Amino acid sequence: MSDQNFRQSTMTPKYRAGPKDDLIWHGLDSMTLLFHRPSGITHMLADPAPALLEVMDTGLLTAAEIATRLQARFDVESGADTDDIIRARLEELAALGLIAREAG
Amino acid sequence: MAEMHQIRLQIGPAAFRIASVWRQPLDQLAALYRDYPGPSDHMVDFTVRLEPDKPWRRYIRPSVHIGGDFWLPDVAPLPLGQGLLAAEMGMNLQMALGWRRHLLLHASSVEKDGRALIMTGLSGSGKSTLSAMLAQKGWRFMGDEFALLNLDTGDIAPFPRLISLKNQAIRAMQTVAPADRFGPEMTDTPKGDIRHLVPPKAAIYRMGEPARPALLLFPRFGHDPELRDMGQAEIFVRLTQASTNYVALGEAGFRALTRFVDQVPTRAMDYQSIEQAEELIESLWSRSP
Repeated sequence: MSDQNFRQSTMTPKYRAGPKDDLIWHGLDSMTLLFHRPSGITHMLADPAPALLEVMDTGLLTAAEIATRLQARFDVESGADTDDIIRARLEELAALGLIAREAG
Repeated sequence: MAEMHQIRLQIGPAAFRIASVWRQPLDQLAALYRDYPGPSDHMVDFTVRLEPDKPWRRYIRPSVHIGGDFWLPDVAPLPLGQGLLAAEMGMNLQMALGWRRHLLLHASSVEKDGRALIMTGLSGSGKSTLSAMLAQKGWRFMGDEFALLNLDTGDIAPFPRLISLKNQAIRAMQTVAPADRFGPEMTDTPKGDIRHLVPPKAAIYRMGEPARPALLLFPRFGHDPELRDMGQAEIFVRLTQASTNYVALGEAGFRALTRFVDQVPTRAMDYQSIEQAEELIESLWSRSP
């Protein structure tokens, strides 16, 4: 592995969800409610954030790996825009405490 | 500590002890709550204390500080002439901050045929006046301040406190309710002119009987009459804002509120007069399942 590739791989963040039992899901007409048991906070999420959580588990995944899982389960277009959107939503979910982010 | 007079009141599922260094507010409470039973035993859920904010304020320009099991630091003292209002505010405060047995919605509710109509909205939406008016027209009054949502059954429990009429609503209710059901008029309170109305006797005698929620309205006074559908997300958010203990109840509150939003038909209702509102409500009620 070259120095540059090594640096890139170490800079790629990975994400993992908490245990499935941490969340209670409830669908409203246009949004998804999530009750986060550890914090007692209710979150209201718009698409595609709930879909991201659905394909994640407690294993560490890169944004690209999550995008691949999304494309396998949902009708999601692939492309640079999609990757950017997914990364942005993952960062938001991490900021909310709904997923964990770890440096690669 | 100064000697305290006291009175105990049972309102729906909640038992209160109101203690005061002055007799006057308690005499007024005793007169207005004369049809209510006292608590069945000596246990009370909350204590409200009406005390002078400074020792000399007991006698000189008496001013009432609201204390109790739960209190907020920024509640300003009231003159003794508004001691009744202080007691009522104190009871509201205890419920809002301390009650855990139901999900509390800042809403009025009335019942017909075992089914409850719940009305929630900002101050000035008319929810209190509408419930008081419907109570004179064949509906059972269940409460004008808090609707208590049972966490297990999803029913609404009555909490038929004195109805707090403000400003124009006082005149409107004087045309339909018996004169001996009104408390003293208090002018220039922090909430404007206030006069309490004792709920009809049937509402008091049946305050242990819950009802199934059948219709939720968000009334808004002062706009052309209209009924509008609302999205579930908006309904959920507005109900969390209308609840004083949603966060404190945690998962139980989440489950109770999501079930309520799933099951209870909901409309926003604009109106410009009580008559318009009654018409809109009756049209919805006759079609509700």
